[in-house]
Amino acid sequence: MLRLRALTKRYASFALGPLSLDVGAEVVGVLGPSGSGKSTLLSLVSGTETPDDGTVHLNGTALGPCPLETRGTARVFQTSALFPHLTARENIEYAAPTPERVDELAALLEIEEVLDQRARTLSGGENRRVEVARALASDPAVLLLDEPTAGLDTPVRRRLRGHFRRLLRDLRIPVLYVTHNQAEASTVADRVAVLQDGELQQVGPPAEVFNRPATTFVARFTGNPNVFPARLVSASSGPRVEWNGARLAVPATDLPPDTDVWLCIRPEQVELCPEDDPPASPNVIEATVAQHIFRGGEHVVVLHVGDEGDEASLQARVLPSTARVLDVDRGDRIHVRLSPDPLHLIRR
Amino acid sequence: MGLGALLLLYYGLPLIALLITQSPAELGERLADAQVRRAALVSLGAAGTTTVLSALLGLPLAYGLARGPDWWTTPVTALVVLPLVFPPIVSGMLLLSVFGPSTWIGSAAATAGLPLTRSFAAVVLAQTFVASPFTVITAKSAFEGVPRRYEQASRLLGTGRWTTLRRVTLPLAAPGVAAGLLLTFARSMGEFGATLMVAYYPRTLPVQIWVAFTTLGLDSAFPVAAVLALLSILVLVLLNRLGPNAWE
Repeated sequence: MLRLRALTKRYASFALGPLSLDVGAEVVGVLGPSGSGKSTLLSLVSGTETPDDGTVHLNGTALGPCPLETRGTARVFQTSALFPHLTARENIEYAAPTPERVDELAALLEIEEVLDQRARTLSGGENRRVEVARALASDPAVLLLDEPTAGLDTPVRRRLRGHFRRLLRDLRIPVLYVTHNQAEASTVADRVAVLQDGELQQVGPPAEVFNRPATTFVARFTGNPNVFPARLVSASSGPRVEWNGARLAVPATDLPPDTDVWLCIRPEQVELCPEDDPPASPNVIEATVAQHIFRGGEHVVVLHVGDEGDEASLQARVLPSTARVLDVDRGDRIHVRLSPDPLHLIRR
Repeated sequence: MGLGALLLLYYGLPLIALLITQSPAELGERLADAQVRRAALVSLGAAGTTTVLSALLGLPLAYGLARGPDWWTTPVTALVVLPLVFPPIVSGMLLLSVFGPSTWIGSAAATAGLPLTRSFAAVVLAQTFVASPFTVITAKSAFEGVPRRYEQASRLLGTGRWTTLRRVTLPLAAPGVAAGLLLTFARSMGEFGATLMVAYYPRTLPVQIWVAFTTLGLDSAFPVAAVLALLSILVLVLLNRLGPNAWE
């Protein structure tokens, strides 16, 4: 168990923490934008930076006084730290106890064919795999990965993500996986910790963080552009929110009635309905199509909801297989269904 | 490129003039001269010793400067550069004021059988003072050019400081370190002013050239200068070929 308590680091223009987090034998994806303190967090855990306050404990032992070489915290750096004067094999041997272990890791990370290449001649994806292999060769008690797919082409990144997911989950040690990519975090991690300006905003399973964000920052950073000011009201049939002239049913909530809230609507949960077939279900509202963009894997439809001049922009993401969406175009009036369950409220 | 060639020509012309104006017979005669041969051995031996000393003492200092905090790096770097600023004669005067026969260090060393003036040790002292900053400054840059993350990665893989230095930092800094040592050797071979002040004897080649010039004239000094040039070129080419480059 990796236990961080009130971990704090202050720089002239930035401060991390105080930050507390427990990481068991699991992969925690540390998610946040550039400058949010993700790499600083890894530096404090790995000991390459000293915290101003707070503690790092690993299996009950304080790591504070431990020199780097005895901490058991292997790290994959954001910029390659493979030794450029050594081959891939020599890099792994540097940490591996036996040649058999090198071969085993090479097979695991599918890098057998590049083992005899100099590190600086490896492609981006190969480089990352070799660096992970080298980190694993040291048999670490904690593995820290800092943007291990940064700078790679999208197909390579996607392939590595899947590979890392299987590999890291089988390790059964605390793994901190830093990324600014929410899809990567949700693919690889058992839990996601979202950082903003050095502060932990939310920690939880990916589905919970994505669907039940604790703050508007988490909502937006996890890819939800639909965060609107609204008001929670009570009704005999259950809680409702008033939003841009619409009155929407929402799931049961602990928030008291007459509370100003942020209404979060995941764009994947916005259902477009044909104009001539309005469904007779709750939470159906009218909207005007403002934009219809085909983004390769999905359609993005921007809808205007509410009175002209005071309308809200609601984004819908629809898979191409939902064929009827392909007909909508700018200016069309359509019906939109917002299922109550995925709607999420954050106190304002 | 063209401007660079012009500078190269400027370096090369005097050297070519020196070498082509000396007949092989004259060079041979000079090489056969016991004084010249002794001076050549002293120069090579002292420059080699200075280079080894610069490596042993200068590389730790260079590493400390490269990785140390700013408050320490700036004043210490200035101190290291100072011998390069002094005219070598002044360096010799300063060395005499510390190691001269009338100083307590000088007299204690002489009593112990290791005189620090008019001795091989004095030549090495003078050369180290004047030439070792080339090693420190160049190696400092070379160490700074090795990203810290390589050292951090090595140590996080369970390797100690010294092993990291030996297996990661030094190989990666080697081209710059080798360049610094080459400069130190070259500067030592040509060192004259400080050496003249602290060790007229045993004569180094530059002192021998000076003696030949002042006693027998320019024509007599040139062949000794040619010997110095040939020896220096030979050793520098050899050292340069040995210099590893881990980045290639």
